[in-house]
Amino acid sequence: MTPGEPHCGACAHFRNDAAYLEEALAGWASLGSAHGSARGGDGICGRHDRYLSARSRCDDFTPRRGASSLTPSAP
Amino acid sequence: MSKLEAVLPRNLTSAAPRWRELWLKEDWWAIWLGLGIVVAGYVLFATGHSAVLKWIAVAPPKWTSLAQLGSHFAANMARYLTQFALWLAVFAAALSALGYKAREVVPSFVLLYLLAVLVIASGQWDEANRYNFEPPLLALALGLVISNGIGLPRSLDAGFRVEFYVKTGIVLLGATLPFTLILWAGPVAILQASIVSVVTFLVIFFVGARLGLDRRLCATLGAGGAVCGVSAAIAVAGAVGAKREHAPVAITLVIFWAIVMIFALPLVSRALHLPAGIAGAWIGTSEFADAAGYAAAESYAGLANGHVAGIAGSGDQATFAFTLMKVVGRDVWIGIWAFALAIISITRWERTGASRRPDVAEIWWRFPKFVLGFVAASLIVTAVASSYSLADYNKLVSPALVTPIKDLRTWAFIFCFLSIGLTTRFRGLARTGRGPFLAFSAGVAVNVLLGLLLSAVVFAAHWQSLAR
Repeated sequence: MTPGEPHCGACAHFRNDAAYLEEALAGWASLGSAHGSARGGDGICGRHDRYLSARSRCDDFTPRRGASSLTPSAP
Repeated sequence: MSKLEAVLPRNLTSAAPRWRELWLKEDWWAIWLGLGIVVAGYVLFATGHSAVLKWIAVAPPKWTSLAQLGSHFAANMARYLTQFALWLAVFAAALSALGYKAREVVPSFVLLYLLAVLVIASGQWDEANRYNFEPPLLALALGLVISNGIGLPRSLDAGFRVEFYVKTGIVLLGATLPFTLILWAGPVAILQASIVSVVTFLVIFFVGARLGLDRRLCATLGAGGAVCGVSAAIAVAGAVGAKREHAPVAITLVIFWAIVMIFALPLVSRALHLPAGIAGAWIGTSEFADAAGYAAAESYAGLANGHVAGIAGSGDQATFAFTLMKVVGRDVWIGIWAFALAIISITRWERTGASRRPDVAEIWWRFPKFVLGFVAASLIVTAVASSYSLADYNKLVSPALVTPIKDLRTWAFIFCFLSIGLTTRFRGLARTGRGPFLAFSAGVAVNVLLGLLLSAVVFAAHWQSLAR
């Protein structure tokens, strides 16, 4: 994959900010944390209702405004 | 649904996102805070100002009457206020960097600190052992009662960061654990933990598959039960591209069984009169999350330190054995589990015809970085101690440097245990369904029995002699 190539991390359907994830996946903050290293840049695809890597991609990619590169680490 | 494809980020190695981890991930903040305390402590020690660290690391002493306890607080109020201000400053700074609002963190931490004072003081009552007032269990129970009985505004969760506090505590714990002990006992911990992890994962996975569950859910449940609880379940859910509802199911089951085990493992260990080192190893093998495991291990350590009849060994043995088993034996392998399961998911469970290539670098991306701080803290204090004889270490280094760090670690852990209870709202957890519950519970049963067999029989001599 080359920089700028479509991937979930830059897709409008994908959300991986930590606060949203802890709200969306009930109980996560009780014995875990979306701010931890183990999560990597994973997040939720609202289009397919899946929890997956920011490095995934699919045919339904929709560019998110302002997303220019992969940001797997951003909480 | 269109095909989903994991892609390699080989060319997306822009330095900026990677460096941002240093202040956007709590693992790194735990390192900065924990190592900051250790290094500051060493500087104070080396310059002859170790009394400053001891002054800050105040904690309620043993007491027999409320008047005695009241006198202690009256005489040491300035120390508590200073300690509170320092904790608040560093935690608020870190949590602000992680995206939380300071105006939500401050009231939350004020409440947390006051509850921590109450819990630690209760545990120091000379009759505490008789009534099982172990601070970890008390903290958890108090938090659960408040969050589920009284209820607190969600905004207060900003300061109840379970993982952040436990990771900070683990880094501080590294300063009290000799590096030579990690080298000596680490391999056995890895061997024992690997046996139990693999068996537990396979049991959950195949029971789940037999019950007709989606294999990605089976893998998510299996990782939650076998590796390191919620963190592992979430990491594997992302690696295999699980359905959105899979992770909450695994989270609910991990929380349920982890809380059961916090109370059950120390209770059964006490009933079986397990020596402290053996109980710590068992808890490290059979608890599901670091935070929950430390609650159980520290509880048993408290019993050992309180010289409860029938419990041989020291509290340190329980804590060290647990840490070696859980952190060294299980936590550090999370990336490998995620990577391996990503490959299996791509090649066996989702044959889309597309090329999906997981990257081996994922092992590092998901590596629990706070472990680096734990090891660094151990190396620093071991290096300091190496220039002293054992007698001088016990007389000079331990009371001036190691003991205050240990006291601060206790505070961090109590913040964590309280936060578990304060953030666990049973009504808000996802429903699991019969199949996932049965699959996970089968793994729990095998894990607990196999963990006991390995800790108390196969490797008993090793764990009993740990850190003697």
